[in-house]
Amino acid sequence: MFEQFKNLLVNKLKVSPDLITPEATREDIELDSLAVVELSIMLEAEFGLQVTDDELLEAENVGAMVALLEERGAKI
Amino acid sequence: MAATDVAVTGLGLVTPGGVGLTPSWAAVCSGRPTAALDPVLADNPVKISSRVPDFDAEALLGARRALRLDRFIQFALVAAREALADARLDPQTWDGARVGVVLGCGDGGPATVEAQHEVLRTHGPKRVSPLLLPMQLPNMLAGQLAIEYGATGPNLVVSTACASGTSAVGLARDLLLLDRCDIVLTGGSEAMVTPLVMAGFAQMGALSGRNDDPASASRPFDADRDGFVAAEGAGILVLERPRDARARGARIRGRVVGYGASSDAHHVTSPHPQGAGIEAAVAAALHDADAAHSAVQHVNAHGTSTPLNDAAEAAMIKRVLPGDPLVTSTKGVTGHLLGAAGAVEAALTVLTVQEGLVPPTANLCTLDPGIDIKVADTATVMPIDLALSNSCGFGGHNAVLAIAPA
Repeated sequence: MFEQFKNLLVNKLKVSPDLITPEATREDIELDSLAVVELSIMLEAEFGLQVTDDELLEAENVGAMVALLEERGAKI
Repeated sequence: MAATDVAVTGLGLVTPGGVGLTPSWAAVCSGRPTAALDPVLADNPVKISSRVPDFDAEALLGARRALRLDRFIQFALVAAREALADARLDPQTWDGARVGVVLGCGDGGPATVEAQHEVLRTHGPKRVSPLLLPMQLPNMLAGQLAIEYGATGPNLVVSTACASGTSAVGLARDLLLLDRCDIVLTGGSEAMVTPLVMAGFAQMGALSGRNDDPASASRPFDADRDGFVAAEGAGILVLERPRDARARGARIRGRVVGYGASSDAHHVTSPHPQGAGIEAAVAAALHDADAAHSAVQHVNAHGTSTPLNDAAEAAMIKRVLPGDPLVTSTKGVTGHLLGAAGAVEAALTVLTVQEGLVPPTANLCTLDPGIDIKVADTATVMPIDLALSNSCGFGGHNAVLAIAPA
């Protein structure tokens, strides 16, 4: 899931790949609150995952976001 | 005149002639038209436009940055960077509170609106981008430049259709003369060449229909003109009071010595048939410059290549400017940059007086027999002490800048 998530960030949001590590925070990968809404929309469009922007904002780093996606994916 | 002039200390251009001042000026001076078939308009009745060639937003602005910006803001950021470098100003060290931004724009980001409207229709409102409004609102042009350069002074976008760029430069000068700030980034930007907008222009009968020979389509003042060619791009000027510019040792390219504005109060799209509104704006600009009508030696005309505009504007020039000025319309090369046109043409007029070189009007094969003014059909070397740059917009807006050498 980390690789899929990373690919989404790189290909759709044009985040620089070398910034994306499990420890990287939202600020580290240069996502403001609007970009997090975009990300939420893309997760549904690309992976069929329903994760709100508020949930993504609460995740402390990329690793926590991926954990959230895996949890949500497991339920589908 | 000395009390009301402002110095142009920097210029930046992104035009169908190229990305940058040097290629844009070279293209305009060569008289080589830029209009071409546009793949985006393949299903439209009018299939031609003048695009900025080789504009690589990702390379110029960074991929992540470019993704979040409509094209009209991308153009302005690139032109502003060139203008500030040209002015040798360093935004890292300036007092941003004394730096204003006044830009013209006709429509903001219609390409973004059209793309997101498609998302709405196809996938519903929950898929619409949160960046829809920050990307497309016209005021974001000034807002984004402020963010980029820490310019925290007066900040606004003016919208007077195809006069927007000229209105912006005039208002920027007013701000300097009122001491509201010390430096203004002004000009305009436009990226309106989309299928929907172009369908609208075509339905109005405003566009040239020369799909079979795009290069000949924009032909201001020519007997066979049949409409304008829509174009895209940006022009940015750095303005300062001359005293301030001299104090920091800046190179002054030229001066904006007068500004005049008016409304036709006549019709939403047709110009006043005798050009009464543009005449009033010319008179106001010359009064502002404390200059005689006979002193005007050159006019960068609005000259859109529409039958009505060129006839009315030429009649006004003949009637009002007795000095037999040499007139050009750079739109023969660039096409019509709409809300950015006046900004680009103000920059080109500054270069014209600085270089003493009037660019030709492309495609001027046979001067309309009803037009009795002197139109440059080749690049012409001549010293110029006073020039005008005219703009008119749908809605009846007229704006004129009086421009003089340093």
